[in-house]
Amino acid sequence: MKFTQIFTILIFFTVNSITGQYKFEKERRVKPHEVPSEAIDFVSKVKFKKKIKWYLEESQDGKTFEAKVYFKKRKHSIEFNHLGSVLDVEIETKFSKIEKETQNKINSTLEKRFRKFKIRKIQLQYKGKEEDLMNCIKKECSLKPNYEIVLKGKTDSSYKLYELLVDYAGERILKELKFSQDNFDNLQF
Amino acid sequence: MRKILIISLFLVSVSVKAQSALSFGWLPKVNLSKKVSSSIKWVNSVEAREDLYNNTFMFSHNLVDVSSIISINTNVYQSFNFGYIVRFKGDEVVHRLLQHFNVVQNYDGLKIGHRLGMEQFFQNAVRPQYRTRYRATFEKALTGLKVDVKEWYLKISNEYLYQFNKNDLEARISPYLGYKLGKRDKIEIGLDYRLGSLLEFEKKNNLWFRTTWYISI
Repeated sequence: MKFTQIFTILIFFTVNSITGQYKFEKERRVKPHEVPSEAIDFVSKVKFKKKIKWYLEESQDGKTFEAKVYFKKRKHSIEFNHLGSVLDVEIETKFSKIEKETQNKINSTLEKRFRKFKIRKIQLQYKGKEEDLMNCIKKECSLKPNYEIVLKGKTDSSYKLYELLVDYAGERILKELKFSQDNFDNLQF
Repeated sequence: MRKILIISLFLVSVSVKAQSALSFGWLPKVNLSKKVSSSIKWVNSVEAREDLYNNTFMFSHNLVDVSSIISINTNVYQSFNFGYIVRFKGDEVVHRLLQHFNVVQNYDGLKIGHRLGMEQFFQNAVRPQYRTRYRATFEKALTGLKVDVKEWYLKISNEYLYQFNKNDLEARISPYLGYKLGKRDKIEIGLDYRLGSLLEFEKKNNLWFRTTWYISI
């Protein structure tokens, strides 16, 4: 097989894996004593006032622990790997609270990807050193966030649910996962 | 959540005791849905009603409802359902047309379903009957934030039905315990308490034990 053929096949599979991947996530609530001590140490340094809810998550990225907590009127999800090292901090926000210029860029990026879309949830995703992440939680952030966006979008005739990761500038989609829509039969019939 | 279940069961038992006429029975139901296209589903169900107590203990078959519904998703969390139900009760056959509108609100760890509907009943030698109904249903995962396969959930619904011709109002409250057996099926067991003739002095009480199997193929 010629190099160009191999290259084309590789590109095809890469594009498919970016656009066609389905989100897989299974989580369950766990008690603090089931969480690695390094993760417990991280959250205790922040001195959260509200109760921290811990979850064990299984997803495409393997097993992780997640702490969910409200702090300074913001909803935080702090993700740790199975050893307890912090991976990222996600803070829920409103689209309207993002800088106007970034809003416009995100909108234009999404308009290129979808015929129609409606944002349902947006989180600022911070990655970096432990100390920098802690500062972001305390509203003293020096990191630039990526944007994790949950939306319903139309590429053909019907809406589907997507989780996207858009870069800090709002210009590139770094990750795209399709949600399979939950079955609501038992709430309807 | 356990507290909510205990309180609901307590309220049901208190209100049952407070009324005079009570009947009790079992409502087994199988609900089968099939996706026809990306936004249309065809939903069929069979539900029986078995009387276990009506002033005295018994085991008597009461009726069977067979339904066929077309569900059109207008949005990710919205649908219009149009259907037909036929009821076989002894020698009687009652035909019902239904038009329901559903909206589901999906929060972290909690789903709230709203159903608003109109129904028309047709039967030989009986004037057509018209009914409207509204139901709110709350579903809470008992493990984590969403219901995954092989996980339990709690569901509580509260419904109000108004029959125009008879000027009759009925309220229903139903706590259920659900289990997601697989990606495509769920099973629910619970109670369905119905307080009828709410606008009359003498109320009607029905308490049903419900078992429902939801299958999607």
